[in-house]
Amino acid sequence: MIEVKEPKKELPLVGTLKAMWIVGKHIFQKPVTTQYPEEKKPMPDRFRFRIFLSLDDCVGCTLCEQVCPNLSIHMNKVERENPRNKRKIYPDVNFGTCTVCRNCEEICPTDAIYLTHVFETSRTRNSFTYSPDELSLSEDEVIK
Amino acid sequence: MDVLTRLAHFFAPLTHYIAYILAYLFESIFLVIFVTIVLVFMIYLFRKYMARVQLRIGPNRVGKFGMLQLMADGLKLAGKESILPKGRDDLPFRIAPLIVFIGLVMSFALLPYGDFYWIGSLTITHSNVSVILLFAAIAIMPIGEILAGVSSRNKYAILGALRGVAKDVSFEVPMMISVLALVMMASARTAEPLNLSDLVSSQIIPFGIPEVIGLLVFFISMIARASYSPFDMGESDSELVSGHSTEYSGMRFGMFYMGLFGSIFLSSMMVSLLYLGGYNGPFSSDAGFIFLLIKTVILVLVAFTVWLSVPRIRIDRFVNMGWKYLLPISIINLIIAGIITLGVGL
Amino acid sequence: MIQEEKKNDSREWTELNMGPQHPSTHGVLRLKIKLDGETVKEVEPIIGYLHRNAEKICELDYYCDSLIYFDRMDYVAAMNMEVGYLEAAEKLLGIPPPERAKWIRVIMAELSRIAAHLVWAGAFGLDLGMLSPFFYCFVQREKILRIFTEISGSRQETNYMSIGGVYQDINENIIYMIDEFTKEFPDKLEEIFNAFVKNDIFMSRNKGIGILEPEVAINYGVTGPMLRASGIEYDVRKAEPYLVYDQLNFDIPVSYKKDNLARFLVRFEEMRQSVRIIKQAIKKIPDGPYFNPKAKKSLMIRLRGEGEVYARTESPKGEFGVYLVGDGGVKPYRVRVRSPSLKNLSVIRHLGKDVLIADLIAISGTIDLVFGEVDR
Repeated sequence: MIEVKEPKKELPLVGTLKAMWIVGKHIFQKPVTTQYPEEKKPMPDRFRFRIFLSLDDCVGCTLCEQVCPNLSIHMNKVERENPRNKRKIYPDVNFGTCTVCRNCEEICPTDAIYLTHVFETSRTRNSFTYSPDELSLSEDEVIK
Repeated sequence: MDVLTRLAHFFAPLTHYIAYILAYLFESIFLVIFVTIVLVFMIYLFRKYMARVQLRIGPNRVGKFGMLQLMADGLKLAGKESILPKGRDDLPFRIAPLIVFIGLVMSFALLPYGDFYWIGSLTITHSNVSVILLFAAIAIMPIGEILAGVSSRNKYAILGALRGVAKDVSFEVPMMISVLALVMMASARTAEPLNLSDLVSSQIIPFGIPEVIGLLVFFISMIARASYSPFDMGESDSELVSGHSTEYSGMRFGMFYMGLFGSIFLSSMMVSLLYLGGYNGPFSSDAGFIFLLIKTVILVLVAFTVWLSVPRIRIDRFVNMGWKYLLPISIINLIIAGIITLGVGL
Repeated sequence: MIQEEKKNDSREWTELNMGPQHPSTHGVLRLKIKLDGETVKEVEPIIGYLHRNAEKICELDYYCDSLIYFDRMDYVAAMNMEVGYLEAAEKLLGIPPPERAKWIRVIMAELSRIAAHLVWAGAFGLDLGMLSPFFYCFVQREKILRIFTEISGSRQETNYMSIGGVYQDINENIIYMIDEFTKEFPDKLEEIFNAFVKNDIFMSRNKGIGILEPEVAINYGVTGPMLRASGIEYDVRKAEPYLVYDQLNFDIPVSYKKDNLARFLVRFEEMRQSVRIIKQAIKKIPDGPYFNPKAKKSLMIRLRGEGEVYARTESPKGEFGVYLVGDGGVKPYRVRVRSPSLKNLSVIRHLGKDVLIADLIAISGTIDLVFGEVDR
């Protein structure tokens, strides 16, 4: 328990001049802005955005659909030969509502669904939903 | 040889009157061009300076170093629809921005600019009482702001206008008294102390050195005149949205915006003319205009630093300060000026 | 006599709306004020413009999913919200986090507290018309957010903690970053502090303005820095230690001046104390698991809890309480949040009486409102 003290009283106007100097001397410092599209800061290792789906590993257990807090994931029927996925259902993801909570990655029993570093996924309206096939492709190959 | 006479000589083949009318016309056009260039420069400088003080980069996309950003902004403002509020008082609402802008241009017309090499004197208006005229021209701009506030039928705007009136009343008396001290000091040296050119030329050492108190009072008054932080209660964005210009949009808003930046430059120029020696400089007297500009730009940067670092003062405290501190101080300053003029004969 | 009657007649007062789209108000606060000239006679805060029904949505989701809605309550101090929810949820579900996770949570919560106070300081400067200190605050905050990105993958709504521990362990690199931050931050903080308090006008705008008497504060349920600035020494971290705050050495700043300036000073002192806590915690952090295996993988959505729990923690705004009722199912039966900002906002009716408009703005600035938390 300590009592905070009021700062030392400055002479009138002298204190204001000191405060002005504190602000004004920042002109000699370098700007901190990053000019985004031209220069990109390296992203941290754990930074995640784009969800990636490995179709061969997915067993169609629907756990990711259950755990998604925003109902961004829905299971879809895809005609594809996969002995581990008998029901032939795979998740699709709506990135418009995805909050990147990583619960789906955490819960997936076969690590089929996981998040990648890619985050430049700008889309027009109503085209945020990625079908299972699109989820398994890299961002450049997905043409919307 | 000044610009006016040169122009009149140029048009001399026409008759005398027509030549002078054309000369005045062209000089006015030059003046408006000068004011526009000053405004563009000021706004660019402000944005860059503010960005650098705040550790940002500022405009750098349009043109080299963002030089054309102002053109883009101006085009945007000009292309915008000018929204007129429903319950407005029509005529005052429309002319208020024009009054502000015309007041600004008129004040620029009355300043002495000094010499500039082969062009000669750049001063536009020669008058025996240009000090009085100048302060009269400066007093036009608040009228536009008050008209804008009252006519736009918006509670924020009315509150802003009321604050503006209270502010103007409380700083103008000390401002005029501190100018009076200068006139007194100049009267010992020149026959026409009310003539701005004579007033400036009579500074052998800048008036700011014997008149430190006067400089302080005048600088504070000039901040209040240009109404930027700390004295921007009239348009304080966190309380009254933007005060008198709340309902304005498009080019009409642009005129208020230009009025703000123009009056910062104007007030810095006036401080440098009246207190810092103006166009008097150490080397060649031909470069008077350059000296004036350098002094003004330094003062403008000081003004920007004040703007960016000091919080807004409360209106009642400012009125208190105006009447209880600035006024007595300026009267003391007047007495000091009298003692200096009579006793030392500076 | 007649004049006096006229003075008290409320029909003579100007009614003015501030917000929800007003540059001064934080977020979407709407203040309906009645003015007599420049003097504010009545203030009525109107809330609900950011209502997202977060508590009800939490009841429709699994225990582990609710965390993202808590992130978005006080969105400038997401880590503190997570700590608050997990204190309740872990008690209800009976899954205590391991020792290491507790220490990591303390470090993150204190970093988040600094970040939240920096946002407040910058916004408070803007309220008063200081344009620059805002950016210096945000430059420092950005360093904290960089640490958060490094550790959890997201800047602001981190979703870093989870039931039974934390999402991922902290490593050498992160410890080094936090070390660097605690080394250089105190100097920068002093610089920001001086940019504020050296100003005469700043002092005159805040000294003796908005006096909040301790009795009034208690009656309105005000907590956090606002209460401590009124002279009451109450902090949940000391009064009822959670996580490992009882093993740490720190002080609770108190001021008996009760005004705006006292609140300002208390918050800055809290930032210094937070740095002190982080410095100790980063040295004491024990080895071991960072996650309770009971809540790992597909068990996440099979957690069942029964009974009712109320847990309170100290968020940057004040006492943050979470009330959970479980009926034995996988989803909570009832979720209720006691949000400090809402209680602190209610006192503005009292503080905003017979002050000038400019002071009202300064007072509502010192309350430190975040609307995600007020409206939920």
